[in-house]
Parts: sequence; C-alpha cells; structure tokens
Amino acid sequence: MTRFLQSAVAGFAQGSIYALLAVGFVIIYKSTRVVNFALPGLMILGAYMVVYFGSVLALNFWLALGLAILAAALCALGIERLAIRPMIGKPVFAIAIITIGIDIVLRVIVNDLLGSNVRNVRDPWGLKTLELGAVVIQQRRVAVVIAAAVVVSLLLVFFKYTRIGLAMRAAAFDQEAAMAQGISVGMVFALSWALAGGLAALAGMFVGTGSGIDQQTAFVAIKALPGVILGGIDSIQGAIVGALIVGLFEGFSNTYQTQYLGFLGENVSQVVPYVVLFVVLLVRPYGLFGTPEIERV
Amino acid sequence: MRGRPSLYTSYEQDSSLLNTPVKRFWVGALLATLVVAPFRLSPDLTLLLATAFIVSIGAIGLNIVTGYAGQVSLGHAFFIGIGAYTAAVLNGEPSTTSDVLGYGLDMWIWLPAAGLMAALAGLIVSPLAFRLRGLYLAIVTLGLVFIGEHIFREAEVVTGGVGVGRRAAEPELFGFSFADPGTVLGVPLARDQGLYFMALVVLVVMALLARNLARSSVGRAFAAVRDRDIAAEVMGVSLRKHKLMAFTISSFYAGIAGGLLYTITRFLEPSSFGLLLSVQFIAMVLIGGVATISGSILGAAFVTLLPRAIEEAPRFAPFISASASGGFLTTQQLEQILYGVLIVVFLIFEPRGLFGLWVRVRNYFKAWPFSY
Amino acid sequence: MKVKLMTLRTGPLVLLVALMVLLSSCSGREDGGGGDDEGDGAIQTDVGVTEEPCPDAVNEDHGCIYLGTLSDLTIGPFAALAVPITDAQEAFWNKVNEEGGIGDAYDVNVTEFVEDNEYNPEIQVQKYQQIQGDILALAQTLGTPPTLATLEFYKEDDVVGTPASWWSGWEFEDNILESGTNYCFESMNAIDYAIDEFDVTSVLAVGYPGDYGGDAAAGAEIAATETGLDFLGAVETAPNAVAGSQEAAIQAVLEAQPDLVIITTGPAEMAEIIGGVAARDFEGRFIGTSPTWNKGVLESPAAPAIEALYLQSSPWEPFGAETEGHEAMREALGDIDPNDGYTSGWVWSYPLKAVLEAAYENGDLTRAGVVSAATELETVDYEGMLPEGAGSFSGDPNDTVFREIVITEPDESAPSGVTTIEEFFVGPTAEGFEFTEPCQSAE
Repeated sequence: MTRFLQSAVAGFAQGSIYALLAVGFVIIYKSTRVVNFALPGLMILGAYMVVYFGSVLALNFWLALGLAILAAALCALGIERLAIRPMIGKPVFAIAIITIGIDIVLRVIVNDLLGSNVRNVRDPWGLKTLELGAVVIQQRRVAVVIAAAVVVSLLLVFFKYTRIGLAMRAAAFDQEAAMAQGISVGMVFALSWALAGGLAALAGMFVGTGSGIDQQTAFVAIKALPGVILGGIDSIQGAIVGALIVGLFEGFSNTYQTQYLGFLGENVSQVVPYVVLFVVLLVRPYGLFGTPEIERV
Repeated sequence: MRGRPSLYTSYEQDSSLLNTPVKRFWVGALLATLVVAPFRLSPDLTLLLATAFIVSIGAIGLNIVTGYAGQVSLGHAFFIGIGAYTAAVLNGEPSTTSDVLGYGLDMWIWLPAAGLMAALAGLIVSPLAFRLRGLYLAIVTLGLVFIGEHIFREAEVVTGGVGVGRRAAEPELFGFSFADPGTVLGVPLARDQGLYFMALVVLVVMALLARNLARSSVGRAFAAVRDRDIAAEVMGVSLRKHKLMAFTISSFYAGIAGGLLYTITRFLEPSSFGLLLSVQFIAMVLIGGVATISGSILGAAFVTLLPRAIEEAPRFAPFISASASGGFLTTQQLEQILYGVLIVVFLIFEPRGLFGLWVRVRNYFKAWPFSY
Repeated sequence: MKVKLMTLRTGPLVLLVALMVLLSSCSGREDGGGGDDEGDGAIQTDVGVTEEPCPDAVNEDHGCIYLGTLSDLTIGPFAALAVPITDAQEAFWNKVNEEGGIGDAYDVNVTEFVEDNEYNPEIQVQKYQQIQGDILALAQTLGTPPTLATLEFYKEDDVVGTPASWWSGWEFEDNILESGTNYCFESMNAIDYAIDEFDVTSVLAVGYPGDYGGDAAAGAEIAATETGLDFLGAVETAPNAVAGSQEAAIQAVLEAQPDLVIITTGPAEMAEIIGGVAARDFEGRFIGTSPTWNKGVLESPAAPAIEALYLQSSPWEPFGAETEGHEAMREALGDIDPNDGYTSGWVWSYPLKAVLEAAYENGDLTRAGVVSAATELETVDYEGMLPEGAGSFSGDPNDTVFREIVITEPDESAPSGVTTIEEFFVGPTAEGFEFTEPCQSAE
C-alpha cells in the first residue's frame, strides 16, 4: 500500500510539472490557434535561467526563480514577435513546423550554455523527505504539486476576474469580434506566449530538482503533449486533468511494470502516455474536455 | 505549337506527363546530368546524392499522405524503421553466426517485402485517421513513433537492442552487388557509383508511379478528402477507403526508402527512428512544397545536402570552430541552429516551399520581359 | 476545361540541386590523403601517411601520419569525459611531435579527422566511412557498442584503433590496442574488495545495454559465484536520452535491497540513481566503473549521497597522482579544469605510439604493417601510469591480460574529484580466473 501511495505521489508530482507545461500550451492554442512545439526549448531555457541566476550569479533561490520566470517570459515574447507574428494568416501546419524550428534553435543555444555537465538548480528541497505515517514523500514532490495548484488557481482567477483575462477569453472565443470591441489582439497574443514561457520556466526548475538539468532534460517536456491532447487541446481544465493522468500512469508503470508486465520490456513508462491517449481518443476523439470541431460545408 | 506552349491539340497531349517539347528537353537534360554526375563528383558527394534520392522516396510517401490526402502524419519514422528492419532481417546473415535474426535472402525479395511490411503497418494504423483529424491525428501518430521506438528497443532479436544495433541489408540483386559493381556495360563502377544508380533508378520508378497516382482519380479523391472531407463524402468519395489507401501507399514508400537507406550506411541502431526523423521528413515536405512530387524531391535534397554544406562553413566564417571544444560554436551546433532557422525563415517567406519559389521564378520568366 | 497539370519542374530542380552540390563540392578535403606514396628510403606507406608536413606542423620537415578520432563529443552520455579524452590525446601527440615525432621522420596529426559518434553505433559507422580513406589508424574509438559495430570494418580495412572503452573482448582482437584491465575484472576485484572492507553478502549489477554494462555484470556474476555472494541480477537501464529518467532502475534497486551495487552507467545517471535510492533510505554501497564518474556530480543534489555511498574502481590512478606519466600529462595540458577524462586519454595513447614506432622500425608504415607491429608488441612504457607487465599484446590473452585495479573515493579537494584509497591490486577471483573468451553472462 505504501508503495502504491508513494508511486501515486511521485506520479502526481510529475503530472503537475506536465500540467504547468500543458496549461501554457493550451493558453497559446486558445488565443492564437497556434500549435506550439517549442515547449521543450522554452522549458530548458527557463531551467537554464534558474541555474544561471541561482548558481552562476549565486542569488537567493526565490529571487533567481522570479528573475528566471521573467526572463523566460520576455524571451517567449520576443520569439512571438519575431517568428510567429509574421505568420498570422498562413497555414496552421506551417506555423507548427516553425515552432519546431524555434525549438531546435533554442535547445542548441541552451545546450551550448549548459555544457556537458549536469547543472544544479539549487532548490531548497534537495532530496529531503517528509513522512506521513509509513509513507515517505520527497519534499520536492509536495512542493511542485502545491506550486502547480497555486499557479493554476491564480490563472483561473486571472482569466475570470481581471479585465485582461476577460480580453484574452474574448479573443480566444472570436478574434474578429474581440477586435471590433477594441481589444488589442496583438497584446493578447504576446501575453499568452509570455505566460507560457513563464510557466515553462517554473516547470523547468521543478524538473531540475532531484537530479539537476543537463542536455537531455528538454525531452521531458514532450511528454506533456499527450496530456494536452488527452484533455482536449482547447480546454485548460482538460490540460490539467490530462497531464495529471499522464503523470500518474507514468509513475505507476515505473513502479509496477517490471513486476507485473515484465515481458513488455524496460522503460515502458515512456510509451504508456500514448497508449492511454489512444484508448481515450477512441472513445472521445476530441479529448476528454475538448470541443468538437463543427465544420460547415 | 511553337511559341504557344499551353495550346494542347489533343486530349492525349493534355493529360500526358511530358506534353511540350520544352518539358521533354529539360527532362532529358536533367536525366543526362544525373547520369553523368557520379563520374564527375567525389565519392562521398555521390553517396550523399544517392542518400538524397532514397530519402526522396520517403518524402514522396509522406507527401502522399500529408500533402495530397491531408492526413497529418508524424509517424513516418516508424514505417521507415519497419522497412529498414524487414530488409535487415530478410537479408541478414543466418542466425547461427550472429545473435540477431537473419535469413540471407536476395534483394528482389527483401526490397518489396520491406515496402509490403511497412504498408501492412500503415494499413493497420489507418483506422486512426477515420476518427481523428488535424492535431489529434498528428499527436497520435507521434505516439506511434514512440511506441515503435520502444518496440525496436525491446525486440533485441531483430534489432540488436538499443545502443548496440545490427548490420543492415546488402544491395545484392541476383548476385549482382550494387555496392561492389565492378564493370558494368564496359564502364568500371565504384561502390558509390553503383549505389547512386540503384537509388536513381528506384527513385525514378517510384516518382513516376506517384505522379501517375496524383493525376489519376485516386489522386483527385485524395485532394477532395484533404480540402473538404464532408463534401467529398457527400459526393460519393469514400473517406475510409481513401484514407486507408493513402496511409498504405505512403507507408509502402516509406518501407522502400527505409530498406534502401541503410544499404549506404550498412549499420542501423534502434534510436534512429524517433521524433527527429519524423520531423525531418515533415520539414522536407514543407520546405519542398506540399502536394507536389518534385517538391518532395527538392525538399529531400535540400535537407540531406544541408549538413554537408554547413560542414564547409568553417572555411568561410572563422569564428566557427570545427574542433570539439574550441570556438564559440561548433559546426555541429551551427548545423542544428541553421537547420532550425532555415525552416523558420523559409516558411515565413515562402509557405509553399521550394516549389512555390519555383513557381514564382517560372512565372517571372514566363511573363518576361513584362513584369506582370 | 483544361486540367492544370503539375509537371516535373526540371529547370530549377537542376539549378538548385546543382547549386547545393557545387557548394558542397568546394571541399578542402583531399580524396584519400596520401595515396600510394613511396616513402624515402625503405619506409612503405599506403593510406593516411604523407610526405608533406601536417597542417600547423611542429616539425616542418617531417612527413605526416594522420590518425582519426571517433568520440562522443556532444550529446551522448559520456561527452563530459570524451571531450577531455580527445584534448588529452591532442596534447599527448603534440608532445610526441615536439620530441621528434615517430622515428624523427613523421609528425602525428590527430586534429584533422575528429568526428562525433554521439555514442551511437550507427553514427559511428557512418563517420568511420567518412574518414576511413584518409587515416592510417584510429587514435580513439569511443564506446564499447560503437566500436563493436565498426570492428568488422576495421578488420576489413586493416585499421588499428585505440578504444576508449574497457571491454574484456578487446584482449582477443588484434586490431584493438586496449590499456588497463577490463570491466569484467574490475567488477571481480571490486567485489573482492567490498567483501574485505564491508562484509557484503549480496550484489546487484546496474548498467547500460550491450557489452559495456554486460561485461561488468558478467564479472559481478562470476565473482559472486566464486565467493558465495548472492547475485541478485543485472538491471539494464539506459542513458536518460533513451530512458527519460532512471526511476525504473531506482525502483529495481529498492526492490532488491542489495548490500553492494556494481554500477556501469554514465555520470548523470549514476548521480540520479544514487540520489534517488539514498533519498529513500537505501544504505547499500555502490562501486562504479570509471566512466560513471565526472567531477560535476559533486555539484549535483545527490552529492552527499555519492560521498557517503560511492566508490570507484579504476584501471589507473586519477589525475592528481604522482607518477612520471601523470606529471608529464599535467605539464602538457597546462591550465585546465582537471578531469579524469584527460588521464584516460593520455594513458590510452602510449600503446599506439609504441606500435607506430615499432612499425617505423620495421620500415612498414602501411596499414598491414601497423597491424603486424601491433600483434608483435610485447611491452609498452606507460611512464609509471600502469605497472610493469601491462601493455603486452602478443601471446595468449590469459597470460597477457592485465588484471589489477585501483580503488578511489570521492574527494572534493582532489583535482578530478577522486583520490586513491587502494593502490594497484588484484583480488583472488580475478587472479585465478581462466580468461579464454570475453566475459559472458550466464543469462
């Protein structure tokens, strides 16, 4: 039982990291209809910023984190201006590939800065653990769940109660009507990318807790994609739920798969999210919470 | 008629591939250049061109399913892998001498078999496209790549396992080895030249087949499915049948490409068939031009030759270092950055790819000296 | 209605492809450096040796011997070690050139043909075929699986190579000039040491796929059988680029609860595993082979756990040791951030130097001549970095294989992060082992 709970907590924590990334993805998709494959690059960029401010400049961790999130958000903004803005109106598929190109460029630059060693994000949780009865939970896992929950609630409040949030929701619903109402859609675009960049930086920092970051860490972000699709690409709640499901399944398969389903081979947890995705999409082709596309002929 | 290239005087002329003397001339010139090229270029360039030809076959396949039929597929790497491993297993040395499967069969068996196995996989996978569209289909096919990677990693008896790998197929047809041709028709051929001609012949055959497909009723049905699938169904174009056909044919091409590709490098390892390979193929299709055959070839040539062109960069830009730890950027990193940047820039300025670029150039010359 | 057809756009197709080909064909590279040169006097050469001096040569009047390097320079799991290995070899051969080169007639160049194999056998084969026509031998071929993949090509082409790998099978290959003992014996000695020091009763092997992890696991199993330890199995994991994380391996270790873990992965993965199990109160010991170590792991969150639980079995002493060879190395390298990659790269180069010199003495610097010089080599002067008796390549592997190791422990104050705690020794298992074939696991 304790193993199950520990596994569930680890999975939940991993899912929270994916949730941060997934929410960023969905925000961009909802407001700009752009599929953003640059998440791994943004995440590793953010993680590197934390390393830079925290290790190289040796600032206080929280200050470093805040600065890193800001810096990553600004970079994301810059990318949006330079590469995405000129592509408005062009085929969606081409824009998606452009984000892949951006991802490649980001990753190469950050890998160059990272060097070949593992870098430490200097988080305050390290490998310390917390004990709840018989269950031993690592503090960093608790931290990420709390952080994700707080951030997501803040975002939901932001969207619901502030003017800018309202503007973003309006632009997500219908760009032309929003423009007609005087909402600056360009500002909405920029803000959604900035938010995604900041979220990715936070996620990157958490990925770095426990084992540090190195040149391979960026690929962790790809696992957020099935979570997004699982929940439906235009639903923020769906993104969160989907990401958590993906994380949970990954945690369980890490712990139990070699025991019960050993014939499937090693490291099945990489593939499990996609299997889950297949199954869900068979039943609900637009994801759990996605809105079905209505096509007019 | 001279001076009136768009005036077709017979139905046959209208629908044939090389319908004007100009086109016939240029195709002839192209083929002549391609046949002469391996005798003029250095061996590794010839091999590079051979690789580009084989990769084009795969790109044509992807264009069929994504460009012509509109079914976004990020799973192309999976089918290429299936083709490569089918070829390797069917051609490999018998199991008594190595720890991976091998049956020692000839090329006339393993090459079509590679295509057919991949086509079978495509057939099995195609029902995904019945339910899913757009990004959902794309991510699910991406999942296919990861599952495929996992299978390749675990099936050690076929692949040798991750980090270890196995020998690939040797191109021997009825005892004649393309990799070691000796003297053909009185002309001595080296390894690279033999492989080049093999690749060229297969490419021409497959490209012609694809072009004919595109201008047949099946090709028109694909275009209908891509543009307005509900309307197509209403008109009587069976969506299921055509999506199935699109995936199957595309996978067949991928299998052939996979089988041939590794005759050049002679060794394959499971982690080659991942997301990166799929993205490369998508890039080829987009850079070359969606829904065009020659676009696929152009895109494939571009993406294949690009790393080599960048490798020459240190001679033009001294701050780029060729050594591992010196300089601001290594060629490897520059290559990757340039790859990403080129994709971005290209698509921003010419979303229709190289083919679109060509259309502009051609229209300019068509209307010359009038500018509009 | 006229059907607009898409026809083969031949003109620009030719133009564009021709343009790219032209661009790529402005190659500074010669096809087959050297060709069939006749050397001066009686020295025969074929591939990879020229009478012209090397680019940026130390001795302008010498000819040039080109050696290739196939290493993990960017994104593989050993890049942090491989880059120093390559740099150390560059420094080594530079020193050789400064002392007169080979036979006072040829300088050695190891910088012209350096390629990245990304620790991937397929890429290794590709890159090898790219440089194959221009080199006499390989100064470095990194990684057990990649080298195994190219081994048959080496044999076909009569190319001799220095492996950056310690697999037990190299002893049986004429083309491969290995130095130091191998992972198999390393594990046996490590287990003998652990029995003496820590009184362990069970052992688990955790390693990469293929013969890198497999060799150590086989050694562990052999030693366990010999000494009566409980062999709990071999856990196969993979670099993070493939496996995503080491969570599965961590779970496996926690499940098995061994007293001792023989670990054969890369440094980042080692840190993750040890950190992960220590966080869950695992107290067993880890002994890792030398590719598991990188000084940088002392900066990672797992550092306290590593300092408490990890020891390293190593084929030779680390960077800061006091031997003639180590000092020569430090002097040649100058001011760099110390790392045991440098140590390894330096040590590995001695046999190839001996072989080249022997081939020169024989008057035969062809590929075949180098191979035969390699098979006849009886002794190599390691300048104290390896004891007498190491470096024999002729004779029965059971007699010539070197079986001793060194044990080191993490030490922040040491230049490369580890310091010797047990000098060269051989344990009873390795001493008595009949070495007739590469170590195989019984599984």
